[in-house]
Amino acid sequence: MRISIFITCLGNMLYPDLGVTMAKIFSQLGHTVDYPDNQACCGQISFNSGYTEDTRAIARNLIDAFEDSEVVVAPSGSCIGMIHHNYPSLFENDPVYLKKATDLIHKSYEFSQFLVNVLKQPDLGARYKAKVTYHPSCHATRLMGIRDEPLTLLEHIQGIEVVPLPEAQLCCGFGGTFAIKMPVISEAMVQEKAQHVIDSGADILTGLDMGCLMNISGYLEKHGHPVPAMHIIQLLGKGM
Amino acid sequence: MSENKPYDMQEALDKALKDDFLRMATRRATDKLRHQKLDAANQLGDWEEWREAGEKIRNQVILNLDYYLKQLIENVEKNGGHVHLAKTPQDAVNAVQEIFQKHNAKTLIKSKSMISEEIHLNPVLEKDGVEVIETDLGEYIVQIAHEPPSHIIVPAMHKNRDQIAKLFEPIAGHSLTSDTPTLTKFARGKMRKKFLNGEIGISGCNFAVADTGTIAMVTNEGNGRMVSTLPKVQITLMGMERIVPSFKELGVMLNLLARSATGQRLSAYTTLYTPPRREGDVDGPEEWHLVILDHNRSEILGDPDFRASLRCIRCGSCFNVCPVYRQIGGHAYGSVYAGPIGIVITPLLEQDYEKWGHLPYFSSICGACAEACPVRIPLHDLIVKHRDRKVLTGQTSAIEHQAFRAYRYYFTHPKVLRHFVHWGARMQFVFMRRGRIVMGPPPLANWLKSRYLTPLPRQTFDDLWPMLERRLKKIELQRGEQK
Amino acid sequence: MSDHQDFIKHLALKLGRPTPASVEPINVQVPHYQLNSPEERIDTLLANWESLGGKGIKAQTPEEAVQALKSWFGDPEPKWLNSTSIITWGELPDFAQNTFNQLHWTTQSYPDSSSERSARINVAAQAQLGVTGADYGIVQSGTLIQLSNARRGRAVSLVPPRHLAFLAGSKIKDELAEIMEELLTAGAPPAAIEMISGPSRTSDIEMDLSIGVHGPIEVYLVVMTEL
Repeated sequence: MRISIFITCLGNMLYPDLGVTMAKIFSQLGHTVDYPDNQACCGQISFNSGYTEDTRAIARNLIDAFEDSEVVVAPSGSCIGMIHHNYPSLFENDPVYLKKATDLIHKSYEFSQFLVNVLKQPDLGARYKAKVTYHPSCHATRLMGIRDEPLTLLEHIQGIEVVPLPEAQLCCGFGGTFAIKMPVISEAMVQEKAQHVIDSGADILTGLDMGCLMNISGYLEKHGHPVPAMHIIQLLGKGM
Repeated sequence: MSENKPYDMQEALDKALKDDFLRMATRRATDKLRHQKLDAANQLGDWEEWREAGEKIRNQVILNLDYYLKQLIENVEKNGGHVHLAKTPQDAVNAVQEIFQKHNAKTLIKSKSMISEEIHLNPVLEKDGVEVIETDLGEYIVQIAHEPPSHIIVPAMHKNRDQIAKLFEPIAGHSLTSDTPTLTKFARGKMRKKFLNGEIGISGCNFAVADTGTIAMVTNEGNGRMVSTLPKVQITLMGMERIVPSFKELGVMLNLLARSATGQRLSAYTTLYTPPRREGDVDGPEEWHLVILDHNRSEILGDPDFRASLRCIRCGSCFNVCPVYRQIGGHAYGSVYAGPIGIVITPLLEQDYEKWGHLPYFSSICGACAEACPVRIPLHDLIVKHRDRKVLTGQTSAIEHQAFRAYRYYFTHPKVLRHFVHWGARMQFVFMRRGRIVMGPPPLANWLKSRYLTPLPRQTFDDLWPMLERRLKKIELQRGEQK
Repeated sequence: MSDHQDFIKHLALKLGRPTPASVEPINVQVPHYQLNSPEERIDTLLANWESLGGKGIKAQTPEEAVQALKSWFGDPEPKWLNSTSIITWGELPDFAQNTFNQLHWTTQSYPDSSSERSARINVAAQAQLGVTGADYGIVQSGTLIQLSNARRGRAVSLVPPRHLAFLAGSKIKDELAEIMEELLTAGAPPAAIEMISGPSRTSDIEMDLSIGVHGPIEVYLVVMTEL
């Protein structure tokens, strides 16, 4: 398969290692990897703030970038969720881009979803000793229905012990611009989430979305209870 | 929020977030109700099928609301009831006032009605010299405290038992211990005389059955039954969208409502009343009025983007899963209806983004509400739709527009963005301490108030790709040679 | 205040078409709850009734009911018994009438207690126990159904602190949908259909469950198995 990496804006700017590890994993599994470099962003930030015209421009750019891709994989449930859940309504009055968006929806995946359900390769022979707790990001679970796949991947990393996260279903308070626009509420939410992470007893916080992870670990660090956050891809990267 | 002070969002939020008891009480109330609902839904089995049925029924009703409302009115009048169609809250208040004036009534016994909150009925009647008694225990507590309800199912969840005892004591005329049995016994004793002597009863409506003119009332305490059985005159207040076609659909909706609101299979008392009393009946109202409130529900009806919100059966499930409500409780919203449904319908009922435009931002768009809603209202999508409307109608700040214009530019010109990011990576040391970004310009400053930020790495993925690509190609070649 | 016609026309306008003369019935499928035998029905209803905080027995004969009432309320009679402490529907099932005849506990028919409304309310207010029949039961939700009529009285199962109901075993349905079907075919409904699932309750005080608020504090059920 020829797999195109959708690195996401956050991944590109802050966590490029996610893309590097993903590329290495796909290559190891015998696939070709490419990176259409005129990709930029899925547009969820402007979409969630109500700026649909701006979002459409950004979405068109993304759709165009992946037009020739066979499959597209991202290290983020929220970005793929944005495409799947919102691109149809975004382009409901644009038949040309509606068709292109639909094509992209059919060939785009979040990483753990792709590895477990499409490639059917949950075991990468990874080895990493750590006690981790898993935060199920809202968009990955509720928009994309991704629940078991990341746990399956974690199960197959030798040495990983997964401890439950209390009230895991609670939003961490990131919500993209929500953290900036309604900071006091966001802080209260991440405060509770952070406490649950501490209560879990985990040494590492893991998940599918760096946005959530940097929100929670950034809070923990500032408040003197550092619990490093590692994306599942980063755990795999460390373990392979 | 006290009843007359104008709402200040920051103040309301700060007050709520500083109130440790409120936050604990909100968690306790919502955890309990949420778990009870989940248990009840699991016991029922096939919850998704039930939700689908509920959505279908409510959708069909909404799309034919004129037909069903017409049928309801005809049947109520045929039965001998009086229908008052209230376009505005003031119309509804006037209708009620007229009934009181006609009977020269001075005592009102009231069971739970969100419509009565929506039209702000109590203060008007009290000014008219009517003794208004909220008979639902939670509503009674907030009435004495001069506060609005903080949750649509458990209105006084923000009060602790000591506070409740203190509220009751002046009325009791003696001290009260704050254990639940004592407080409940006090309320029971206090209300008895009121029930037995109340001249007019006002109650709410969970569903109105169009083809019989029946009102379904879902309660647990018995006060709803008292209010609809003992007084000579009864008034039911109803939101005009709360209709089901017949008993058949009512059955489906009652299953959904009871389980969603409190996790019960049916509430202690589910009363289906078709007033007025029949010839020879020894109780039940002789005279019955149904006040049907529009209050811009018709506007929502004519707005396909938001029409789905009329499906709401006021179960409170969305409150019980909302991570925002969990932290701030009901009062901080400043609106009659709080929680996810509140932030969707309030700007629509009031047709006012200026006063209520803060509400659509009380959400991180986590989607828990849509997941929980028994009639599958896509609340998270509707919240974003409000934000769309605000932008389209020019109600967001110029700075925000500029920011998103810039965002749009950079994220459709990735090569330009790359330069910007490189520049940022070079300059960020200004904001860093000990390897972390600790300060920055607004709006980043908001984030940094309570969190650290990892610094931008020197190379973006764009930068790393060319070398990565070469390496991968080499590996591929080697693999090919090995075959 | 708006005229009815204008109000409806306004809605039709908002919906973008004239008000239809008829609408399609709504077709939904929901899962069903079904039990297999009358015995299972009776036993499960009683179990659910008890888990809701009620007390209940099944009785083949009034004699059996007599024993139960004595154990519930007092043997040979309740401490609170006097001439006004028990009110009943004007039309109790014979089985129930029989039971009270055997007990020799004075009862008063609520609808016949006075021709004057407020006097009747006082009668109800003084009573310690209200005795009624029941038209149906629902197993799944542990529910009794009472339809109102001129010979009954809604206050009987509401005002006194105790409520005792006699229900024929054959009238027990498995789920609410069956009751709704019965109501659909029964023609015009009465002034009130009360569906009672246990004693009155609230969790308004710190989410702490409290049994016995404004409605009855104690509820009792006798299932007449041979009826």
